[in-house]
Amino acid sequence: MKTKPWLAAAMAAALSASLLSGCSGADNGGNAASPAPGISASPAAPQKLRILSANVGGKTPEENEKFEAALSELTGMDVTLEKPAEGYDQKVLTALGSGEKYDLIEGSNLGVLDTFVEQGVVSDLTEFVESSAVLSDPKVIPAAEWEQLTDKDGRIVAVFSKFQGGTMPIVRKDWLDKLKLSEPQTLEDYYEVLKAFKEQDPDGNGKDDTYGLSTSGLYDIQGFMSAAGLKYRYVMEDGKRTIPYATDAAVPMYEWFAKLFKEGILDPNFVTNDTAKMRNLFLTDRVGMVTYWDAWVGMFNSLRQQQDPSTAFAAAALPPASGPDGERIMRRGDPDYWFVPANAEHPEAAKQFLEFWQTEPGIMLGSLGIEGEDYIKEGDSLKLTDIGKEHNMDHGVPFWYNENVKPPFGKLPGVQEAQDLVKAHASLELALPGWSDAEKIVQQYALEAMSGKRPTRSSGCARSCSPRS
Amino acid sequence: MTTMKRFGALYAMMIPVVLYFLVYAYYPLARGLQISFQDYRLMGTHPYTGWDNYRLVLQDASFLDAFVNTLLIGGGTLALGFAAPLAIALSLNEVLRSWFRKTAQMVLYLPHLLSWVVIGGMWIFLLSPDTGLVNVVLVKLGMSGPIHFLADAGWSRWMLILLVTWKDMGYNCILFLAGIVSISPSLYEAARMDGASRWQQMRDVTLPQLSGTMKVIFLLNTLGILRIFDPVFILRNPATASKVDVLMMYTFQRGILEMKIGPAAAASFLVVLLTFALTFAVRRLIRFDEV
Amino acid sequence: MGDRYDRLGWTNRTFDALNAGFLILLMLTMIIPFLNVLALAFSSGIASMQPDIVLIPKDFSTEGFVTVWSSLDLWRPLLNSTIVTLSGTALHVLLSSLAGYVFIHPHLPGRKLMISFILLTMMVPQEAVMIPLYVVNKDLHLINTLSVLVLSGLVSGFSILLMRNFFSAIPYEMAESAKIDGAGELRVFFTMYMRLAAAGLATVTLYEFVGRWNMLTPAVMYITDMAKITLQVALKSMIVDSAATSSSYLITTNVRMAGIVISVLPLIAVYPFVQRHFMKGILAGANKE
Repeated sequence: MKTKPWLAAAMAAALSASLLSGCSGADNGGNAASPAPGISASPAAPQKLRILSANVGGKTPEENEKFEAALSELTGMDVTLEKPAEGYDQKVLTALGSGEKYDLIEGSNLGVLDTFVEQGVVSDLTEFVESSAVLSDPKVIPAAEWEQLTDKDGRIVAVFSKFQGGTMPIVRKDWLDKLKLSEPQTLEDYYEVLKAFKEQDPDGNGKDDTYGLSTSGLYDIQGFMSAAGLKYRYVMEDGKRTIPYATDAAVPMYEWFAKLFKEGILDPNFVTNDTAKMRNLFLTDRVGMVTYWDAWVGMFNSLRQQQDPSTAFAAAALPPASGPDGERIMRRGDPDYWFVPANAEHPEAAKQFLEFWQTEPGIMLGSLGIEGEDYIKEGDSLKLTDIGKEHNMDHGVPFWYNENVKPPFGKLPGVQEAQDLVKAHASLELALPGWSDAEKIVQQYALEAMSGKRPTRSSGCARSCSPRS
Repeated sequence: MTTMKRFGALYAMMIPVVLYFLVYAYYPLARGLQISFQDYRLMGTHPYTGWDNYRLVLQDASFLDAFVNTLLIGGGTLALGFAAPLAIALSLNEVLRSWFRKTAQMVLYLPHLLSWVVIGGMWIFLLSPDTGLVNVVLVKLGMSGPIHFLADAGWSRWMLILLVTWKDMGYNCILFLAGIVSISPSLYEAARMDGASRWQQMRDVTLPQLSGTMKVIFLLNTLGILRIFDPVFILRNPATASKVDVLMMYTFQRGILEMKIGPAAAASFLVVLLTFALTFAVRRLIRFDEV
Repeated sequence: MGDRYDRLGWTNRTFDALNAGFLILLMLTMIIPFLNVLALAFSSGIASMQPDIVLIPKDFSTEGFVTVWSSLDLWRPLLNSTIVTLSGTALHVLLSSLAGYVFIHPHLPGRKLMISFILLTMMVPQEAVMIPLYVVNKDLHLINTLSVLVLSGLVSGFSILLMRNFFSAIPYEMAESAKIDGAGELRVFFTMYMRLAAAGLATVTLYEFVGRWNMLTPAVMYITDMAKITLQVALKSMIVDSAATSSSYLITTNVRMAGIVISVLPLIAVYPFVQRHFMKGILAGANKE
């Protein structure tokens, strides 16, 4: 056989060609060459809207498809909702960096929003928000809240997608009652309670297998650092940025934790725990206190209730330890928000959606889910289906601002009390450029001090990580 | 015969591969290189800024730390990740019962099937100071107290090296075994005629005959060591971050979390450059081209 | 091969015992994680969250599998993953072998240059080319097609170098004499080299198969059309747990582990077939004695 030099190439080319044509098929709109803007605005075809979301949408690909359809029907637009299964930050970055055009993008980090503003990615929504009858109504969104989404030039650059709560110490109320302890107020009270959880066998299984407290690294010790009046990340003092966790005032607090660690009251895995492990310890009677989100007070209770309807398990939120002047510091989470990219093809559709999202049909979709799938209407009352129960009334919006829309099923036990604490004490943490580098030093120092590996008095960090600017 | 006539068919066989690499490797590479010299804002213009991005990265203390960590962890992984599978392949080759060898091979391959998320989560449990199996055994054997392997900065690099080696052991071992399989049986026969023991056969026949495979595996491993990411991402925690954060962790942090695309691209190209230098050195050292 | 050694020798027997013991110990470290995943997958929700190493199911239950199965319409992702994995692996192995074969010719002009050309592609971290790569796929209209998943990593320097290594174990004179008899390069490649390097092919195929089956990032980045989603993405979308915001959705550990078991099962099912090829090579070697 004589060699045919071209054969190899031809063969490979043919193979890949057949493959390409075989698989490409229907190309979903929006990704290919961008359609002329005029066409999509024609009255006959419904307005198009392309959304990239992190939390809003269905829990599974199938459900997301239904969610998309429900959104389209409710808004009268042709909505595409893309919800990546993983690597959301990476997806957003790549999409924006390569000129992909979305009309709305969800975010949940104010530092990232600042970066987007800096890099010219977001459009100014000030005028839209101020003139919108829905969004400017303080009953829909309290006026003071907008400050969170205002950039340094005073422009509103995003709109809330839900009400974000805060984190606080969550305690086993049933253990407190069983050991006849009262709710701790000061750091000393907290110590007594945690020590009792460790030593007095609160779960009554006769084994020394309980811890007083568990955390996931420094997430979250704010409720205790509150006792010394210290707030996480940066605090501006006389126009200068300071890191309270890295000052000398923090040293006695780390010593307090080191004592807990040494006495076996603090979960020894606290450094390597992720939040899921911390939660699991709490759910399985291994630890009496963790710090976590308001919504989870209810989640904890309902999960154990589902498992065993007669359980004594009761989780309750606690106010942070009171500080020198009786003040308590609590962490509020960065808000979840929508922003309209500067290159959006259908900004008007996006704005229409933003209003819709704060009204009753939008809120019902974002919380309960899809009618007919997650819940059904029986006359005037609503009823959750099995799927709806599984999805916990959270399709991106577990809680919302709009006071005119009442939660149809109320809140899970303990959540309201927790949210009252958030409203009373919680404030945002201030992240400024350079925090990620500073955070590494602060965390390493704090974690070593907390596990007693570093003589805290040497104040190695107090000097090296306080910024001098 | 002219070159074209003699080798034309071979060149033609390379065409699809070359085309693919041009489109999917070299073009993106060139564009990436371009980005590393730009102020690459996510939207708007991308003005050229000369060497600014590179200067920024090279003057960044975190980059230097990451470089040192990468060298230590990468070097350790390279050495152990080469020696351990080789030892196991040789050991497997000495197993006479074929069912046992088959089973062992399959089992050793298992961790390769699971992602780092699963494997990492698993080892975090196994190494935990309170209920972790490893510490339970160590304390039973008379150690004074549990070691918190993953939270102790002194242990963190060693644990990474060990776990990376452990996970890929089965795969690299198969590569060595495939090499051993292709050694001509006549060589062993001749050695036995000369009265060589099992140990001598391994030393005088298997190892020298395996040198080609060893070179390839060593070179392939070298190419990867500066890009190690997944295991670090999963096993790091704030207490050990300063000891284990590697170069790719640095680019991840700068690029994806802080969205500084230009500096992140510059850092990536420094990694390419370093890999290039390292590969060149290794190629010379092991005389790879003479395989 | 029993007659290879003096099996009654005392040192030999000790060596065999030590050797086997060492391997068994090592195997245990590999089996424990697997048993743990299996046991957790078959435990009930709350029991699976107990922070201990579990090797047999606690409170046996299949609810994890039921949850995964009932919440996901898995047949389509399964089909997509199968298409992408099979066609991608086949093309990958073929193209990489072709290039590997080219490199065994010692007198080929430009050989070293071409090896360098390929080595360079292996040094580039994905992060460096993330955005340009997306642009390439976008310009080729490949976003939201299964082809993009086949094309991601269609050839790799890694496989090329491995195949070259396996091919170079075959005596080069065989190829030369075949060519003198008039056989073309492709014929020599397919009828001699692809057959004789069966163990090598099996190794590269196995590696690529596992890699493609587990491929996640390109599937997340380039596919947003639900009809073209792969198994890994479908499973991930259901078991991903966002703790960063106050989301109130809990994935119990048993569901997560059930997802892992479902995704790994096909790999374990395929392994014996590949290994048979691989063992054939070993046995062929042994029988020639």
